[in-house]
Amino acid sequence: MAEEVLIEVEAVQAVYGDDCLVLDKYPPHLHVHIKPRTADVSSQQFVEAVIGIRAVSEYPDEPPHISIIDSKGLDEQRQKHLVTGIHNRACELSSCAMLVALCEEAVERLSSMNHPDGNCPLCLYPLVEEDADNKLPFMKLMSCFHCFHCECIIRWWNWLQTLKETDSTNISGATLHVSGEMENQKGMHGATQESVGTCPVCRKVFHAKDIDHVLALVGTHSQLRSEESDVSDDKRLLQSDSENIRRLKFEATLKLQQENSGLIEPKKNEVLLPGTFLPQPITHPSTVSDKETTEQQHADQVINAETSSGSPSDRPSSSKHRYSGMRKHQGRNSREQVKQWIRKENDSTN
Amino acid sequence: MTSSSAASRKALSKIACNRLQKELVEWQVSPPAGFKHKPTDNLQRWVIEVNGAPGTLYANETYQLQVDFPEHYPMEAPQVIFLHPAPLHPHIYSNGHICLDILYDSWSPAMTVSSICISILSMLSSSTVKQRPEDNDRYVKNCRNGRSPKETRWWFHDDKV
Repeated sequence: MAEEVLIEVEAVQAVYGDDCLVLDKYPPHLHVHIKPRTADVSSQQFVEAVIGIRAVSEYPDEPPHISIIDSKGLDEQRQKHLVTGIHNRACELSSCAMLVALCEEAVERLSSMNHPDGNCPLCLYPLVEEDADNKLPFMKLMSCFHCFHCECIIRWWNWLQTLKETDSTNISGATLHVSGEMENQKGMHGATQESVGTCPVCRKVFHAKDIDHVLALVGTHSQLRSEESDVSDDKRLLQSDSENIRRLKFEATLKLQQENSGLIEPKKNEVLLPGTFLPQPITHPSTVSDKETTEQQHADQVINAETSSGSPSDRPSSSKHRYSGMRKHQGRNSREQVKQWIRKENDSTN
Repeated sequence: MTSSSAASRKALSKIACNRLQKELVEWQVSPPAGFKHKPTDNLQRWVIEVNGAPGTLYANETYQLQVDFPEHYPMEAPQVIFLHPAPLHPHIYSNGHICLDILYDSWSPAMTVSSICISILSMLSSSTVKQRPEDNDRYVKNCRNGRSPKETRWWFHDDKV
């Protein structure tokens, strides 16, 4: 019996690799770092947990003890839900080899809870709105897992950068400042990497790259914003020189990434649903297949446009334009033989 | 008590308004213990009654806080001062200005009026002596033309009180 159990432990190690820490081989005592299924896009992981599985020598007749060693983004209630879920599964599987199955159960549970909880700490409105009309995109800071509405955290980021700029202007004088900006523009990356912000909740320092994954989204939103006549202050902030420069830099980086097929987008829609399919890989991109793919993409867009205009969406059309622009780029990418999941159905811009 | 800088302050942005309305609703549902918001029709200036916590030097004493919100709240910290008479405390000046880092350098937009109030009450409660800051006279003289405490370059000397 013990040998079978040892094989089981090896199996868990094989599946979870570095995410599995074996404290004891027999009776098994493991710490497994569980993440929700998001195709390894870590910016889309809003929760994670290290679960402890501790078996006794009567295992598997006696189910192992399940505990949460560490977790992120899970309040007490959700932690309890996770533990109970795994425990129930263990009881179901009593006297079978179950270690891998228990980890899978944990992944399953976490995936179903993979959304932030509570209010955005900046605007105090819920991060996840029940009401579809009020939905705002949210994000997490990669360093500390604190979650915010994308718009809210970007507003804080821009505020900090503006403050910094004002400070340096005050010190160095306007002329010096202008020349400094020119230098920044030369080194496209240099300037963005130097900028830092602090998490409003825990004050942990974060960098421009930590919010890279939401800048594209906010670009779209800022456009929306400036069209709405009632918002004047963001408009000013978003149309400030620093913001324009930042946007230019970002567009340039985006282009570079797209050219090198290094862009995974749109992350939010990277979910496998019925109706998604992988386009056939094109071994030798001839002009014919080339055309086909583009047409396919084009047809896709048309469907998108139709369905989304039919849906009760209050978004101004500009976002759609911007969005379909992105889709076009994708088309170019797929020509370069990048496998990408394509959806037949309506893409919601959220 | 209206300081000139508060009078010349710009109106709240839409975002600031939304956030303050939300804070006000949440305050009404569960106000921080020992505090009472005095209702006015001015969202940009809150006057809050503080009751000294029982068992502390300020038990059975009542003071008033005045909170003024800037245009870009909560990106910018609100201006928080005690209305006359300000409690006798080593970090509170006789003109009502409060030497508390979270109101200035350490402000974070995740803080709320409620969390500020709790910090101030905790600052009062941990005091062991009722006295003014050492540099009170000099500081107050400097502020005579209605300067906001937010324009002060604060030195946060100690964290004991």
